[in-house]
Amino acid sequence: MKKFWAYAVLVVLCLFVLGPFIWMLATSVKPDAEVLTAVPHLFPEHWAFDNYAKAWASAPFARYFWNSFLVSALETLFDLTFGAMAAYAFARMDFIGRNVLFVALLATMMVPGEVLLIPNYITVSNLNWLNTYQGLIVPWMVSVFTIFLMRQFFLGLPREVFEAAELDGCGPLRTLFGIIMPISKPIWITSALIKFVGAWNAFLWVLIIANSSDYYTLPIGLINFSTDVGTVYNQLMAAATFSVVPLIILFLFGQRYFIEGIARSGIK
Amino acid sequence: MSFRLRRTVTAYLMLLPTLVLIGVFVVYPIVDSFIISFFKWDMLSPNKPFVGLQNYIYIFQDPLFHTALKNTVLYVVFFVPIVLVLGLLTAVLLNMRIRLLPLFRTAFFIPYVTSLAATGIVWQWIFNDQFGLLNYLLERVGLSAQDWLNEPRWTLFNIIVMGVWQNLGYVAVIFLAGLQNISREYYEAADVDGATPWQKFARITVPLLSPTTYFLLILTTIEAFKVFLQIYVLYGETAGPNNSGMTLLYYMFTKGFGDYRMGYACASAYVLFLIVFIFTLAQMALSRRVHYEA
Repeated sequence: MKKFWAYAVLVVLCLFVLGPFIWMLATSVKPDAEVLTAVPHLFPEHWAFDNYAKAWASAPFARYFWNSFLVSALETLFDLTFGAMAAYAFARMDFIGRNVLFVALLATMMVPGEVLLIPNYITVSNLNWLNTYQGLIVPWMVSVFTIFLMRQFFLGLPREVFEAAELDGCGPLRTLFGIIMPISKPIWITSALIKFVGAWNAFLWVLIIANSSDYYTLPIGLINFSTDVGTVYNQLMAAATFSVVPLIILFLFGQRYFIEGIARSGIK
Repeated sequence: MSFRLRRTVTAYLMLLPTLVLIGVFVVYPIVDSFIISFFKWDMLSPNKPFVGLQNYIYIFQDPLFHTALKNTVLYVVFFVPIVLVLGLLTAVLLNMRIRLLPLFRTAFFIPYVTSLAATGIVWQWIFNDQFGLLNYLLERVGLSAQDWLNEPRWTLFNIIVMGVWQNLGYVAVIFLAGLQNISREYYEAADVDGATPWQKFARITVPLLSPTTYFLLILTTIEAFKVFLQIYVLYGETAGPNNSGMTLLYYMFTKGFGDYRMGYACASAYVLFLIVFIFTLAQMALSRRVHYEA
């Protein structure tokens, strides 16, 4: 009986959480005549899959997809590389100023990124990087959270692994990328997923840096499309659907790593 | 060169990309933002007079800033408790050794990984006054329809619903990890003593979960102070009817990229920073008095 109520409440909460997605999917396959009706229904009488093709053709969505993918992938790649290097130094090397530097880095996480928006906009503008990929990517190539996650993981690895590599005469870079990274797969998959999702969904930065649709990522492109088409809700929902599907698929495949990473950040 | 010095040079080479990027895009802007907040500047002209505290005085006298402050605080006051309570409820239910746990957990987490730019459009459609799903459901249960998007009194409600909806899974997952960290022995001992479920929750779960709760409290409060995206996707560049969706970050955005008043924008950014900072310190001080054995 106790379990029955648990299930009942969970199902209600699930409906709240998934409701908007169900409604999005349902609307995306309705013909124009069935969208704005007094009595809404879940399933269309006539299926209109061509909403997807129409939406896809009415704005440069292919370009937005490519931009989103490029920006997110490059940010993730740099973040992993630089983050691993920093984490290795903090976890395995005894150097002057290590503890002060690490605490200072952690302290920067307390500063809301939005506070940095205007000076960073000015910096990027002075570099002539407005409306460029480097303007979108470079400021986000390092995240302290990645360094923190990786450092914790490296500290948990047996010392012998590092020592064996170093005895063989490997420098820090060879040790890190040749030996440590291959055995640290869980943590870099976790870091990569969190970074990629964050980059894919980034909004405010792209909004101010990209003023031409050539450099829009999906979120900004989608908002623009929404302003353009107004209340053509079936096409809007089709566009919203194909924008979120890649990320949902990525999440479904990587969720074990993703959720563990998120959960771990809460335990520390 | 001594061994330690050589080691230090190598370490800093490993840290070089991080230090350069954090220096240019995090540390420098923290300082620069503060400096700009004492100047009158439109970002383009070379003319950039020093105005002392004028920008701060201006924003504190600006009725729009008062609106922004009020709305932001109201959002925090409602959003944080609601998302924490619902998140804890979800986590406790998920922790009852139910079937299909991974399926539920996935479902709850999906809004967190999808962009509000996409899901916000769906919410806009749900809140639509004539054909929206919400009004239809309300009328079905005998309540009257509302003009959710055009009446100022609903703006806060709309953005709180969206905020809770998006962050529920995140909060629940962290609570769930905290719950799973509590040893079952405590509950077994309580069962032997004949404790009721409520007693177990209040005397075991709540105290032992408090580190997680404080972590989430700090995190969700900071996030809540930065509320922006829901408003932007629901209302576009208007901050809601009658500025009912004006928040601190929206104010900064409007002053900076709408009016090109960088001094005002940076001053308001620093006010936001200061508020977040004080909250973080206060909550960290509180959390010292929290149980840490689990």
